Amino acid sequence: MKEILKVKGLVRKFGDKTAVAGVDFSIQEGEFVGLLGPNGAGKTTTIRMLTGLLKPTEGEVFYYGKDFSRHAKEAKGFIGVVHQYSNLDRDLTAYENLYLHCILHGIPKEERNSRIEESLEFAGLAEHRDRQVKTFSGGMKRRLVIVRALLHEPKILFLDEPTVGLDPQIRRSLWDLIVKVNQLKSMAILLTTHYIEEAERLCQRVMIINRGKIISSGSPEELKKDLGRYVLEVFHEDHIEERFYNTREEALEELKKCTLSSRIREVTLEDVFLKLTGRRINV
Amino acid sequence: MFNGIKGVLYRELNVYKKRARKQILASSLSPLLFLIAFGWGFGDKVVAGGMPYITFLIPGLITMSSLNQSYGIAQEINITRFYFHLFDEYLIAPITYMEIVLGEVLYGMFKGLLSTLLIFVYAVLFKVQLILSPLFFAAIIIHTFLFASLGTTMAMIVRDHGSQATVNTFVITPMIFLCGTFFPVDKLPYLFKLIVYVLPLTYSTKVIRASLTGGDVNLLYFSLMILFAGLFFCTAYFAVKRVEA
Repeated sequence: MKEILKVKGLVRKFGDKTAVAGVDFSIQEGEFVGLLGPNGAGKTTTIRMLTGLLKPTEGEVFYYGKDFSRHAKEAKGFIGVVHQYSNLDRDLTAYENLYLHCILHGIPKEERNSRIEESLEFAGLAEHRDRQVKTFSGGMKRRLVIVRALLHEPKILFLDEPTVGLDPQIRRSLWDLIVKVNQLKSMAILLTTHYIEEAERLCQRVMIINRGKIISSGSPEELKKDLGRYVLEVFHEDHIEERFYNTREEALEELKKCTLSSRIREVTLEDVFLKLTGRRINV
Repeated sequence: MFNGIKGVLYRELNVYKKRARKQILASSLSPLLFLIAFGWGFGDKVVAGGMPYITFLIPGLITMSSLNQSYGIAQEINITRFYFHLFDEYLIAPITYMEIVLGEVLYGMFKGLLSTLLIFVYAVLFKVQLILSPLFFAAIIIHTFLFASLGTTMAMIVRDHGSQATVNTFVITPMIFLCGTFFPVDKLPYLFKLIVYVLPLTYSTKVIRASLTGGDVNLLYFSLMILFAGLFFCTAYFAVKRVEA
């Protein structure tokens, strides 16, 4: 497998505030990676630097070994981006929005129509092709933005909080769409999210980011194993204490000694997340 | 090559098409009011710059109206940038900043030239004789290029809609009133003359009026127009280049 993206010592400061404080990672072809972190951890800033919307204060980004800052035009050809917000043109129809993307990405004229029809089909929006985007629901806009990012057949797709603010049904249907993209088109995906379940269900590898730094990385299973497989929750008067154990037996042993009410459950990715990022909310 | 220019133009013209009727109607009203008020209102007796006032006024309306339209893309770019975030779509595409600027400027020129056409229709209706020389076409193209570039620059450096309105109030409106569109600037007090001769509209109005009414076109003024146009195109380019979504 070939390495698509390599990031070295990426830093971004806004004034004296450091949003991203030195991030290193790489992504292979076809890999599905999650960037999981609380609000304000630096996920979006990272994505924006990787896609050319923000200039890094320090550090380097390479696509297929080529420096992004010097080969931006070439690299942008194999990047697809879905932003947190819908950046469709509300005055244009679904078809026109996709057509604009085709022009900007230099897709040959004779291929445009068939690619657009195919995309609309893929997104389940075929019958809405000539409707202005301002009449679309949130879920429809999201689907359209995703297939738009795929029109030029990128090698890597950046999804910045793709399901934020959507209801569970639409979230599931979007997950299906995203998995289909990863599997059928064997496209690498970097997804940012603060929904733990989303990272756990979709990603082969999860990087946990907090305060601008990646503090842990591995498959969801590996990350959980590092913490222990079982957790003993002890219910104190004002808080719940969590103790982690590798086997159920160890946990049971401890449970017997407990005088307070307590219970045993399996470790989730959420435990890992909270353990690593802390419980205090600092946005 | 040129995908950026084509893309930006595709977007702008498609949106324009959907609003064309409203836009043209709106942009045709204010010059008509000026013509009725100052053209008919003052009658033939009033002479300005050695010609009937209405003949003097029409070239001024051309520069004013085309400035409004060409510079007016600033507002539209602002909306696509801050409200639709569509500008991000340009920035992530494999196109150069130069193409984005050229696309926007061409669109601004298109709007400016369209409004010029409209004033010509009024000129015919109000029976004003104008001379169409190659120099006029060169001048109006430079004029719309200049103000479309200025509009693109402004759209990129302001931080929100509000500051855009401030620029309009303090720069554009005074310029439209002072730079010889409605009266010859030679009669202004010294201080105002100084201000007026710093502003590019003064030169485009002088050149365009001279070319349309058969006067002598001052080549220095013509060169200054080109200089301003070049300058604002550069500022537009650098403003787009440093923009971060």
